[in-house]
Amino acid sequence: MTAPRPVRALVVANLSRQVRDKVGMFFVVVMPFVTILFVGMALGTGGSALPVGVVADDGDATARLVLAELETNEDLEITRADTADEVRADVRNGRLAAGLIIPSGSSGLELVMTPSSGSGMAARGAIDVAVGKAAAVLEATSAAEAAGAAPDDAVAYVEEAQSDAVAVSIESSGDQGEGDAPTGFAYTAPANLLLFTFINSMAVAAALVESRRLGMIRRALVAPVRSRQVLAGEAVSRFLVALAQSLLIIVVSSLLFGVQWGDPFGVTAVVVLFCLIATGAAMMVGAWVKQPQQAPAIGMPIGIVLGMLGGCLWPREVAGDALSTIGYVSPHTWAMDALLTLADPGTGITSILPELAVLAGMAVLALGVAVVAFRRRAMVTG
Amino acid sequence: MSSLLECRDLVKAYGDHTVVDEVGFSIAEGEAYGLLGPNGAGKTTTISMLVGLLAPDAGSVTVAGVPVADDPIAAKRLVGFVPQEIALYPELSARENLRFFGRLYGLGRSELSTRIDELLEMVSLADRADDRVGHYSGGMKRRANIAVALLHQPRLLILDEPTVGVDPQSRAAILDQVERWVADGMSLLYTSHYMEEVERVCTRVGIIDRGRLVADGTRRELVAELGGTDRVELVLDGDIGAAAEKLRTVQGITEAVVTGPTTVQLLVIGGRTLLPGMLEAVSGSAAVTGVEVIEPDLEAAFLHLTGSTLRD
Repeated sequence: MTAPRPVRALVVANLSRQVRDKVGMFFVVVMPFVTILFVGMALGTGGSALPVGVVADDGDATARLVLAELETNEDLEITRADTADEVRADVRNGRLAAGLIIPSGSSGLELVMTPSSGSGMAARGAIDVAVGKAAAVLEATSAAEAAGAAPDDAVAYVEEAQSDAVAVSIESSGDQGEGDAPTGFAYTAPANLLLFTFINSMAVAAALVESRRLGMIRRALVAPVRSRQVLAGEAVSRFLVALAQSLLIIVVSSLLFGVQWGDPFGVTAVVVLFCLIATGAAMMVGAWVKQPQQAPAIGMPIGIVLGMLGGCLWPREVAGDALSTIGYVSPHTWAMDALLTLADPGTGITSILPELAVLAGMAVLALGVAVVAFRRRAMVTG
Repeated sequence: MSSLLECRDLVKAYGDHTVVDEVGFSIAEGEAYGLLGPNGAGKTTTISMLVGLLAPDAGSVTVAGVPVADDPIAAKRLVGFVPQEIALYPELSARENLRFFGRLYGLGRSELSTRIDELLEMVSLADRADDRVGHYSGGMKRRANIAVALLHQPRLLILDEPTVGVDPQSRAAILDQVERWVADGMSLLYTSHYMEEVERVCTRVGIIDRGRLVADGTRRELVAELGGTDRVELVLDGDIGAAAEKLRTVQGITEAVVTGPTTVQLLVIGGRTLLPGMLEAVSGSAAVTGVEVIEPDLEAAFLHLTGSTLRD
């Protein structure tokens, strides 16, 4: 099936214009990858270990055990600090991903981290594991002593039991190969796909406004074409730009950053529906604003706010319950949830049916409003 | 001659404001018709209804017998439209713009390619055909803008202010070209702020004012309506508004319009004989530094019919 000739003519012309817009192409092609790279690294990349500062008394048994466990973790770079204030300051200014203060003679440890920091969250996970292991050893030693063993013997029994025990391990069958550090790209790639696809759709609405301002739409309507064909040509043009950008991010993030997107049918459904929503939003902006420069000026903040609510700038969990709930008005939230679900092994399009239903509803609404607005405002020719 | 364009009793209103009020005229095959009117007179709204962009509230338009309301697609194939604005994509070349519009008009690939080359040659853009339109001068853009309307070889060409914003040289080139098309028998509807363009290009003129067609005829017929009226231009130094006010009270002066910071145009029955009375009327308000009595022309007819000059 091919598009009617006028629709194709409009699509070819609009895509040619888009390709020649160097600034626009920078935001479509380059900017998403720069952001994925840097935010991905900030959320926890492979390669360098996370710096963790520890305040501990070497004479304390708990401190010795926790330190020993922390130092076995290759993903952490343990540095010793003299005071808790020093650790807190270094975490605050970003020199440390996290800090751990182990008071002498106490089992109450203090974790210092910034909740919104991706590297802090990653360090916390590793620290929790190390502290858990140390706690288990301490509990086993106490149990041995309670059973009548002398303190030194109790320690020896526990060490012996540890060496004899079958190591329980979890092998990842997902995107991370054995020995690879967990990366943040699995999160930032879908987040930036949604963020940039939407923002750029709003920005390319400037070309639509320019078409109106130049009288191109009016002139196209003088040709022997139906008004719905002109409308379809403009809409399909915006949709294809959004879709092309999404596909580019998916392909390049897979090849460069090893991101596994999951079930291709599910991903395609999410991306297509999200691009339709972005197209509707672009058409609305294209119909309402009067000057081309107003399109990115209005579209950018809207895209960023929806992206924030949808967890594209930081995980929604850190935003609190209220914002997280409000986030459900944003298509980004549903699309992000769907894409993150699909990234889990064993999931498929059936796992995201509720999200797809909501996205489809939002797409119908956005395109419906856009068509009415565009017909009333952009195709009025008097 | 048979009518190529026939519009009857066209009405268009927005709320209580009637923009076009029972406008009707026809253009014969091979005729060049000029539509004159000041800004806001209803020219563009009328043209929008002629080309099928706007549905009239009442009245009808037919092109070569095809009713625009009933079969807009067929009617649009017969009409080429040059809008007042430069309706071209600045990021695309002239060739690409022509190709785009040619596809909208349903031209086949080889026919379109040939036609584009012909038109680029005709409007003297062949050597810059692949440059972006955004890099063109105003005159080149205007020529490309006109070329688009000719792609599908329309039977009627509608030009809405085709020389706005171009340098005199380009304007002359455009007018020369339009004159050649008229000489070749192309049917034309031409609107302009420039009276001399309409006088030069068109064989028949309609004057539209406040949404109504107040006159329709050949130049000779319109000028004849003036009878013995002359157009007089006074150049004054002083309170020009007060002077115009006083001039309106002089018997024999039918119109007195301030047309510039120092000029007043008058329609005067027996212009030369009334000169002393005019000079006396303004003597308290302004000094007369120049007088020109102009033989009856289209400008005078326009002033007579609308009470304003074309560029008011």
